[in-house]
Amino acid sequence: MKDCIKVQRLLSGYLDNEINSEDTSLVAGHLVICAQCQKELAELSRVKADILELMRKPLPQDYLVSRLRDDLVDERRMKERFSLAGLGNLSRRLIPVPVTVIALSIALLILSPGQYSNKSSLDEHILSGNSATQETVLGLILGTEN
Amino acid sequence: MSEDFDYIEQFLSGEERAFEALVRKYQNKVLNIVYSLIGRDRDSEDIAQEAFLKVYHSLSSFKQKCQFSTWLYRIVVNTAYDFLRKRKHLVSNDAVLEAAHTFSAGPQEELLMKEKQMLINNALTSVPFKFRAAVVLKDMEGLSYSEISRVLGCSIGTVESRIYRARQFLKVKLSRAGGDLL
Repeated sequence: MKDCIKVQRLLSGYLDNEINSEDTSLVAGHLVICAQCQKELAELSRVKADILELMRKPLPQDYLVSRLRDDLVDERRMKERFSLAGLGNLSRRLIPVPVTVIALSIALLILSPGQYSNKSSLDEHILSGNSATQETVLGLILGTEN
Repeated sequence: MSEDFDYIEQFLSGEERAFEALVRKYQNKVLNIVYSLIGRDRDSEDIAQEAFLKVYHSLSSFKQKCQFSTWLYRIVVNTAYDFLRKRKHLVSNDAVLEAAHTFSAGPQEELLMKEKQMLINNALTSVPFKFRAAVVLKDMEGLSYSEISRVLGCSIGTVESRIYRARQFLKVKLSRAGGDLL
């Protein structure tokens, strides 16, 4: 009885050929003389065989391959769509930047023509060799000097 | 094993057909595992497909420290587990009946076969997942305890214990449910 408890705990591994040689000898020797453990082994073997009953019929060779191909094509399409949408968003975000810069530049050109004429006046004044006071220079730069 | 590594190398160097060869080689093994784990025919193919897609996208990170099949089965078991966790269902009798396969046997034999499969499937899906995974990998795919321990990320002793307990559980369940049928 003591052996039965030990052997029955080993039977699952024995069935799978996964116990060491010492335990294998113990189980094999015990099975010769014990009908109860033989019955237990037969029941475990039947459980093992029952699980194999769930084995499915083999699929056609390319069944999953073609499903996977379809999936991968869909994935790529989605990625492309996503990246194009991303580009669209990016361009929407980036287009206003140069437009604003150009608009501001034009506005500056229109609104401050005097500054440029004053700069040329300053250059002319300096090039003419006349002595320029700090007030004259500041006036020319700020557009107050005539 | 080296054949798998050859396919992987070819795939990583841009040869998509090499991945298809891997799918062809393992598709039936993967489907058998998934079906035994979830007990639903209708979802098995989707889960197998999802697992292969995960493999496709992460094959470059496969370190080749273990066999490809070990790595693949780990992904398959995890994908099946995630499916069950999300759905939070086991399996209904309707689903099992729907799952029964077509055999080339006569109608009476076919009916008995379906009924038997339903009982086995019911019993198996009532085994807690981690015990079920161990016994399915052993009995369905014939993996060694050592290989199963690598797939499930536990010790060989734990694998042995899980398989032992799963079989004890199934023995009782099937003898109660089966009668003359099993």
